[in-house]
Amino acid sequence: MKEFIKETLDYLKRKKVDYADIRQIHRLTENIQVKNENVESIACDEDQGFGIRIIANGAWGFASSSILSEAEMKRVANKALEIAKASSITKKEPVRLSPAQIFEDKYTSKYQIDPFSVPLEKIIELLLKCTEILRKDDKIKVAEGSMDFYKTEKTFASTEGAFIQQFILESGAGIMATAVDGNEVQRRSYPSSHGGDFATQGYEFIQELKLLENSERVREEALELLSAPSCPDKVTSVIITGSQMTLQVHESCGHPSELDRVLGTEISLAGGSFLTLDKLSRLKYGSDKVNLTADATLEGGLGSFGYDDEGIKAQRVELVKNGIFVGYLTSRETAKVLSQKSNGTMRAEGWNRIPLIRMTNINLEPGDCDFEELIADTKEGLLLDMNKSWSIDDKRLNFQFGVEAAWEIKDGKKGRMYKNAVYTGITPEFWNNCDAVCNRNHWHIWGLPNCGKGEPMQTMHVAHGVAPARFRNVKVGVSR
Amino acid sequence: MIGKEKILETLNSVLKKSEADQSEALLISGENGLTRYANSYIHQNVSEHNSKVVFRVALGKKIGICSTNSLKKEDLLKTLSSAKEIASHQRENPDFPGFPSKQKLVKLKTTFKKTADFSPKQRAEIVKKICDKTSTHNLTAAGSFSTSQSEIAVLNTNGLSAYQPFTSASINLVVMSDDSSGYAETMSRDVTQIDFNELAETAIRKCLDSKNPKEIEPGGYDVILEPAAVGNLLEWLSIIGLGAKQYQEGTSFLCGRMGKKVMGDNFTLLDDGIDESGIPFPFDFEGVSKKRVVLVEKGVAKNLVYDSQTAYKDKVKSTGHSLPPPSTEGPIPLNLFVKAGDSSLKKMIEFLEKGLLVTRFHYINGYLDTKNALMTGMTRDGTFWIENGKIKHGVKNLRFTESMLKAFSNISQISRKRNIAVPWWGDIGAIVTPAMLIKDFKFTGKTEF
Repeated sequence: MKEFIKETLDYLKRKKVDYADIRQIHRLTENIQVKNENVESIACDEDQGFGIRIIANGAWGFASSSILSEAEMKRVANKALEIAKASSITKKEPVRLSPAQIFEDKYTSKYQIDPFSVPLEKIIELLLKCTEILRKDDKIKVAEGSMDFYKTEKTFASTEGAFIQQFILESGAGIMATAVDGNEVQRRSYPSSHGGDFATQGYEFIQELKLLENSERVREEALELLSAPSCPDKVTSVIITGSQMTLQVHESCGHPSELDRVLGTEISLAGGSFLTLDKLSRLKYGSDKVNLTADATLEGGLGSFGYDDEGIKAQRVELVKNGIFVGYLTSRETAKVLSQKSNGTMRAEGWNRIPLIRMTNINLEPGDCDFEELIADTKEGLLLDMNKSWSIDDKRLNFQFGVEAAWEIKDGKKGRMYKNAVYTGITPEFWNNCDAVCNRNHWHIWGLPNCGKGEPMQTMHVAHGVAPARFRNVKVGVSR
Repeated sequence: MIGKEKILETLNSVLKKSEADQSEALLISGENGLTRYANSYIHQNVSEHNSKVVFRVALGKKIGICSTNSLKKEDLLKTLSSAKEIASHQRENPDFPGFPSKQKLVKLKTTFKKTADFSPKQRAEIVKKICDKTSTHNLTAAGSFSTSQSEIAVLNTNGLSAYQPFTSASINLVVMSDDSSGYAETMSRDVTQIDFNELAETAIRKCLDSKNPKEIEPGGYDVILEPAAVGNLLEWLSIIGLGAKQYQEGTSFLCGRMGKKVMGDNFTLLDDGIDESGIPFPFDFEGVSKKRVVLVEKGVAKNLVYDSQTAYKDKVKSTGHSLPPPSTEGPIPLNLFVKAGDSSLKKMIEFLEKGLLVTRFHYINGYLDTKNALMTGMTRDGTFWIENGKIKHGVKNLRFTESMLKAFSNISQISRKRNIAVPWWGDIGAIVTPAMLIKDFKFTGKTEF
């Protein structure tokens, strides 16, 4: 294929395109899902193909195919060229890319145990043991466990001379218990909802999750929720744990900092962003305790890689520094608007999708307090844990998130459990009310394998390094 | 397009080599083109040619699934063999009834040549007309316009053989000013049936009419939901409780309520995959013919949709609503129809003394309390205040948090005219729904625009 790729790029150069790149991807996926006493699904998938992205006549064209042959690559190149020419009839300004360092390189994510070499029996046995523990009460109607593994080999080449090969291995797993009693349904997940926790690591990551050791607690908490009182509606202090903070950062920090959203190109589906260009380096996004970074170099993060899908080397950039909004996630095209270079966040779900600006590892940097001390320091409030529902407006201002479980905090002590806790706010007001972030001992990179964006929809693997944090004056509950 | 003959021949020849007790092949193949535009120019324009073959094989009641997007015979045989290998490691699934037997399928016209032949240039020209029209009002346009031709085939070793080619065209547009926006959408199997000019005019009018939006306080309001907004709610209703799996697992809002009144007398909801006034398709992803299923009749919960496995568990027949493997979500109705009423959008507006008109919702979530079908979401792209029977002005967007059992019990008027609401599941189904006037719909929050 390397020869086909080079020949096709040479062909496109002869056609005098402004720019072209080719991505060829081969991906293996394995998914195991266990529900109650049954292995509900064991599935594997092999997917391969290539996509060609072209700027011609100052406009973009993209075409892709799953047929790997020289003739098909030529056909697809011509199709992309035809599409770019069609796009150009609405052109206002010709597409220009910010300059980039050109690499010829190879990158491999680190892992110890290839999950595809782990016997299926071993995986099934672990998951069934978990669901057996989860099911040890008749009120647990659904006990679930799942594991997902991805092995991706990706080649990127461009008319600028880039040639990058990457190998990325990803693993993830989670369990969940759904308790039902009459008209009441409650659930509890571990290590996180949305399928569990994920990383660019091998099966060693699964072993470290200790799914079995947490199953009994998950079951008991799901049962406890059935008889727990509803969370009262009030304005109070909340301490948000790491798994829920992941969602909070994802929705109210990550998405609004994507520069393509800011510039309006995601308006029709996902919406825009309140972080308009006039806010850069001016907006007090959060309190001085709030420091947010995008770091694609974090070892093991699900948003880590060697190079993005424009061949830009992975990097760490600041988004919010001491509460001030200082940076966007950018691409080569969008960075030019700011007279900057891309900070390497363009990724495509697969060979058949065009790269978009996607979150990498978007992190709330650790603060300086201890979690237990933070509880002890809170006279009155709530501890909110693990995401259950999520909704935010199309500029990422008004959000309403529900959590699986909440606990009362009174006079510095964790008290009774509440069910159906929902909290709501306006993003900058909320983050300006952050008065404490826990230290690195409580900081963890949570992998999120299902971030949706774009048309056609692209599901991306991203992550968030976060620690629990406290927020004052938060509206909890909506009167039902 | 690969074509019926070649697909059936290829898959048959591969399945014949299967050493499993039962085997099934699902093929989904197509050429999809999508043009995205924003700020009144095309910023993404893509084409995809892809095929996927999913093999499910059974060793007794042990199921293995393996898929590939290579159509080379040696790759298909390797994938089939991998599925068998996986099955050998599986546990027995007591709810597996075997793969479906031969089906009698309804003949449907789902392919239109002009859609199949629609070129990137033609899509770009349509988008240019929309952008030019929008520019004359000093507004900008954003959206996407896709056209595709695809084919789905399901074969199994029990004699089932199903094949259907189909085309699809879908467009959405958001027209924007500095402080307002308007929206329109539709889809059709036949691109020539789409009135692009009317869609542009609708979105432009909504954008202009909602300029200088005023803030209103959250609370209970009588609200007119246009078809796109009703469709947004029904998408979630479909996921959280109209399928047999959620019912069997005890999380559906219909649990304990089957045969009982759950919504208003004037609300009837059904699923019909072969009604050509929607986006029809004759069979599901197991090859089972789609049945018309009345889900809620005059407010009474009547039926659920089933796939083979959930049907076996409940000792009924599949209604033809399976999703493609390896999905474990269970069956979902993908061709929803809400029964029309006798009102109109105009009459509803004239009737309303005070209330809101919502064009569409954004980012709904239905997992708050599935037993009560409690959902939250935001309004967007055209929310209006109505007073004394007239649209007075646009309003800044609001958050609702409401039970759909309550909302659909409080419908006071339903329009005769129904539109296609474009759901997230794309070109294998759609939601055909009228507009509705709902009393006391609860808005619980507001935003800044």
